[in-house]
Order: sequence, then C-alpha cells, then structure tokens
Amino acid sequence: MVEEQPILEASDLYKTYRVGRVSVSVLRGASIAIRTGEWLAILGASGSGKSTLLHLLGGLDRPDAAGAGVRHKGTALRTMSAAQLDRYRSRSVGFVFQFYHLLPELTAIENVLIAAMVRYTRLSYMQRSAHLRQRAADLLEAFGLVDRLKHKPSALSGGERQRVAIARALMNDPDVLLADEPTGNLDRKTGEGILDAIASSRDIDRSASSEAPARPPLTIVMVTHDERVAERADRIVHLADGRVVEGAPVGA
Amino acid sequence: MYQALLTRRYLTSKVMPLLAVLAVLLSAAMVLTVWSVMGGFLNMLLASGKSLMGDVLITYPVRGIPWYEDLLAQLEDDPAVAAATPTVEAPGLLKLPDGSVRMVQVVGVEGTGYDKVTGFRKSVWWRPPEPGDKPVPTADLRTFIPKRYLDEALALTEPDPVTGDPKPAVVLGVEVSGYNKRNRDGTLTPRDPTGWWEALGLQVEGFNKGAWIVQKSSPGDPDAPPQRSALDELPFLIDGQVTLSVLPLSQQGVVVNVEARRLPVANEFRTDVYEVDANTVLFRLDALQAMLGLDEARRVKSAGELVPLVDLETGQERFDAPEDIGVDPARATSVLVAAAPGVTPSELKEIVKARYETFAKTRIDAPPAQFVQFYTWQERPGVRTFVAAVKKETGLVLGLFGFISLTAVFLVFAIFWAMVSEKTKDVGVLRAVGASRQGVARLFLGYGFAIGLAGGLFGVGVSYLIVWNINAIHEWIGRVFHVYIWDPSIYYFTEIPNKVDPLHAIMVLVAACLFSVLGALAPAVKAARMDPVRALRFE
Repeated sequence: MVEEQPILEASDLYKTYRVGRVSVSVLRGASIAIRTGEWLAILGASGSGKSTLLHLLGGLDRPDAAGAGVRHKGTALRTMSAAQLDRYRSRSVGFVFQFYHLLPELTAIENVLIAAMVRYTRLSYMQRSAHLRQRAADLLEAFGLVDRLKHKPSALSGGERQRVAIARALMNDPDVLLADEPTGNLDRKTGEGILDAIASSRDIDRSASSEAPARPPLTIVMVTHDERVAERADRIVHLADGRVVEGAPVGA
Repeated sequence: MYQALLTRRYLTSKVMPLLAVLAVLLSAAMVLTVWSVMGGFLNMLLASGKSLMGDVLITYPVRGIPWYEDLLAQLEDDPAVAAATPTVEAPGLLKLPDGSVRMVQVVGVEGTGYDKVTGFRKSVWWRPPEPGDKPVPTADLRTFIPKRYLDEALALTEPDPVTGDPKPAVVLGVEVSGYNKRNRDGTLTPRDPTGWWEALGLQVEGFNKGAWIVQKSSPGDPDAPPQRSALDELPFLIDGQVTLSVLPLSQQGVVVNVEARRLPVANEFRTDVYEVDANTVLFRLDALQAMLGLDEARRVKSAGELVPLVDLETGQERFDAPEDIGVDPARATSVLVAAAPGVTPSELKEIVKARYETFAKTRIDAPPAQFVQFYTWQERPGVRTFVAAVKKETGLVLGLFGFISLTAVFLVFAIFWAMVSEKTKDVGVLRAVGASRQGVARLFLGYGFAIGLAGGLFGVGVSYLIVWNINAIHEWIGRVFHVYIWDPSIYYFTEIPNKVDPLHAIMVLVAACLFSVLGALAPAVKAARMDPVRALRFE
C-alpha cells in the first residue's frame, strides 16, 4: 500500500479550560493520525476530552499555543484565518452531534440545505438551487426519510432527527465526517440504525455530487464511550489522561 | 442566504417577534399621527395668519402714502404682482345697538380690489354657500341668505331705507359684537342684543320672495300653533346700525377733531383668527379717507377773509375766489400686494421695495423708502410671534413623542437579547457548519431590520387610517364619551387636519428600521462573539 498522507492529523494537542478559578487540562499532548477512507473510533470515558479532540479536529475550537496542532491534508489549521477556518468547517468536515442540533424552525430538507446556504454566496446558491435541492432530497431518501422532507424536527423521532443531521453533515461533500457520540441519546436499536446509516454514507456516490472529478472516499471519525458502538469502526483508539493510546485495529 | 430563510421563519413562528413588531408599529403610528395632526394644525394656523393680508404689506401709518394710485399702477405692471390694493387703517370706537362700546381697528378698503388681494369674499360670513365652501348644515341661517347680502358686503354699502341709494356701510368681524354664539358644528347663531327676538320666541324658517319667513311661538300658550310672518329685515345685527368714531390727525399728528358717523352694518366676516375677528371693522376706503381727512383736497392759497371787491370796469361786486395752487392727494396708510403664482412672499417683498423706490423718486411728497415699512405676511408683528410660538409647541410635542418612541428601541433590544440567549444553540450549529461571525451578526441585524420594516410599514398604514378618519373618530368619541377634544366652540378650527405628508411617512419608516437595527446591535454582536463550543454545550 502506498504510504499516503493522513487526511487529518494532530500532533501534541494541548487544551485547557478555565472553570471559574480552576484550570482544567483536558488534552495533554494528544497525537493522532487519521488515514483517508478509514472509520476511526475514539473511545474514552466521560470527561476524557474526546469531544474536545473532535472539536479541535473540526476547527470548531483552537488548541493551546503549545504543540504543532491539527493538520488537514498537510495544511496546519493554526495558520488559517477565521474566514479560512469557517470555510474548512463548511467544505472539508461535517459534524454530527449527540443531541442532533437541528434548527427547530426549519423543515428536514431545509435543515440539510442550510449547510449549502452557508457554503455558497447568494448568487452561487441561486444558480445551483435546483441541483442542491435534489442532492438534499437524495441524501434524505438514502437515509429513509423520503416522507419526512417537509417535517419540522419536533415532528421527528430521535433516530430520524439524527439521520437528518447526518444528511446535513454530508450535504457539502466533506472529506471527513466527525461524529460526537452519535448514538448517545438513542436506544440501542435506533442506535444501530444510525450506525448503519453512518456506514452507508461511505457508499454514497461522491463522484456524481460535486464539481471535482475524483473524490477520495469519505473518512469517518467517531467519538464514543460505548465499546459496542466503537466496534463498528475499522480502528479504535483510546483517549485517556489527555493522550491518545493506539489500540489494535478491529478485525485483521 | 441562510439569513433570509431563518429571518422569515423566526418572524412567523414565535410570539415574541410579533410583540416587537407591535411595539415598533405603535411607536411609528403614534409619531406619524401626532406629526400629521400637529403639523396640519400648524399649517392651518400659518395659513389663517395670512387672513385678509395678501403676501406683502407696505405701510406708512397715520400720515399715509400720497399718490398711491401711481404706486398701484406701477406695482400691477410687474409680472410678479397679481394684484395690489390700498387700505387705510386707524383705531376707532364702535358703539353697538345695546349701548356697549368697543375699541376696534378700522380698515378702509376698496371692495373688489381688496377681494382680489386677500380673498375677502370667502371670509364674508352671511352669504349663500358657494362651491369650495365647507358644507353648511341645512338648518343654518346661511342657506336662506339672499345674494344681495354678499354684494353689499363686497361693495361695503347698504341701500338707504328711504331713497334706496347705496350708503357706505361697515362689515364687522364676527367676534366684534359678541352677539354671535359659536356652535359645535362650526356655525354661528346670531343673538339679538336687545333680547327682543328671543323674548318673542322668533325662529327663522326661510327666505321667500324678498322677505324672511319667521316663526313665532306664543310664550304664553305653548300649545298654540306657531304663527308665520314675513319680515323685510332680520332683527339682529346685520341690517342693524352702529356708530363709528375715528380721530383725524393733523400733519403734525395732533388730534384735530372727532369724526363720528352712524352707519348700517352690511355683513360680518370670519377669518377664524380671534384677534382679527374680534377687533377689525371694515369700511369703505373713500368714506374713511373722508372722515380722517386723508381724501383728496384742493390746496388753496390762503385768501384770509373773503373780501368783496369792486370790478373797476363794470362796477359790479365780485368775490375773489381762492386760488387753486394744487391738489393735496388722497392717502392710503397701507398697500396690500398679492404675489403671482410661483413667487414667494420674500421674493415679492424685494420687488415691491424696488418698485416703491422708483415710485418715491417720481413723487416728491411720497415718504422715502427707508421710512416706509415693508413686511411679508409672516413678518407682520402680530403674526410673527404667534407663528413662532406655535412652531415651538409643535416641535416640543414631537420631540416628546419621539423620545417616548425610544422605548420601542429598548423593547426591541430587550426582545433581541432574550432571543439571542434562546438561540444560543442555533448560533453554535450555524458556526459548526461553517457560518462566519459576521454572518451570524448579519442574521440578527437583518432580523432587527425585518422587524423594523414590518412594524414601520404597518405603523404607517395604521397612522394613515387614523389620520384620514380623524374627524369621524373625534365625532364618535364625542358622541359616545361626551368628550370633545377639539371643541370648535372653544378652538377656532372646525376640522382636525387629516392629511399625511408622504415625506413624513417615509421618514418615520426609515427611523423605525434604523432604530430597530440599533436595538438589535448589541445582541447581534453578542451572538457573533459566542464561542461555538460553549453554545453547543448549551442544552
């Protein structure tokens, strides 16, 4: 196998939070390398800093000054301006959260489309709007929500909401899907369904969707405290004491 | 792009933004309504201040301007002048039929010329209604008034009861006599000062074949049917008599005499400016000039005593006639000038001044321009202070209402602050999918603008509705609650101004949008500065 550059990597991440007068050191020199196309699970107990790691990988937060920081396809996030980081979050990554975080006033399809509305300027969006609408509908259909396009989140079950969230995360065709405890708020059966959906997202045809001719396969980084959930991934790493500990890859 | 969609949804899916829109609506409606009505009152007051004045006034009191006919001709030559008319103004004493005496300003005018400059005809009160007048209630006396009352007012004459010849008459302001009672609907009911009419229970029914049909009910027997009779004249002040006294002055300004005349009253006029209606008596220019000694006179060489001489040739007695050495011209203390369309009073004043200077050069005994006073109607002393006071009041009221409307800004601010706190998670989500800080700020600012626009548009609409129908509303409040806010029997306006200036409406709308954006500013900045991680952690 050709040694490829990891699509996402982090070296020596430090992150400290201030809670009142107390400083809490969440990450203390965490390092990780994520290969293109893999499904990585980061396993850790509550409060271990796994969400923080995910936020740093996704450019939603900045690490402390020490350490090299996060690199995406070789580019250090540290060197990016605020606008460039916004663009990174819009185009290169897609977030899925434990509590779904859908916009309550928008319908399912609008919740998916909002990702495109943020990405494109008004003019570009108007030019592509039919195509984008079709893509959003297709994504929701792929996740079994074809009858729910016009429903608001309050009319959807937890599992359905999470699937809308996954569709939203995939709308702009990112390189990496970042999932933070995606099944954490769901019962086991529904959770399985979500994990199936996440698995199937790798199969969604990416060549037909965006302008670039050849797209690398979707990379998935999932954070969880549940071992059974983690086992669905290709590789598991552990997060403990603020550092990443490599585990053996699942399967052979 | 996403801001537009979210703004639309935010506006329609919650109650709070509706309250914000309502607050802006009420403030905008309040400010525009007050502005339109108060502004309308100011315009009405300003226009009424122009009563019986023309646009520019040339005045040289007491002594008057001689050869004014020349001046008039020169003025009317100028394309900026529509018409000019001479007047004589002097203080006088008026004795009324009930014996009371009033101090008045007597103004001698030339009827038709005066009407051309000042629109006097419209001010004549006891005349048949003409197109352009405010509607007259059918029971009002004026519907029965024959046209000759108007003609007599314009000519300032009354026919002599014996010979029928026209005799000079006066036209009084409606408040001079105090005999006219103001009614709520803006009409006047004349009262007979001697009480004779009321005591007899007379009531006017109509006018037929040159006579007034009067109904008389018997005070002793209320059940008896009223009797009808025809009267040639109505027993109130019109067609009555007054005594007018004026003080002619010598060239040195010393009182030489008192001139008093018993005069018939031809009509009354009404300008709705109390000071004018209560203190002014109009009289024929030539008659007043004669009374004051300002009329044309022959200047004669003093003959001392008339001595009979004997003609040396014929032996006959003859008298040496006084030698004519010239004419002492008639004088007018003021000249009123009306501007041609498109000429402002200020522009006209300069033109009139220039013309007067030319005139003064041609006539030695005309007073030089620097001693003569030139006023636009707004500058006339009595009017100027009055207008300034009203303008200040309007400004004050508007300022207060505007200040109160600031509460709308704070209301929008409070609602937005609460909304941003509520929408914390949404902000986190938007930032997670790649929205910029500026984008988030723009979302809330645009939302503020949308609320301002919606509230402003509806507020302006509501204001139009209220102002257009304000007279009906005022009537309704009066009928139902028995509260007349602008009682025409107390104030001098019979109608509340009911027009909205579109420019004012636009200004109020722009202000509504601006202040709403202002109210949303701090909350928008707060939303933009929010840390997305903390926002998302928010449950």
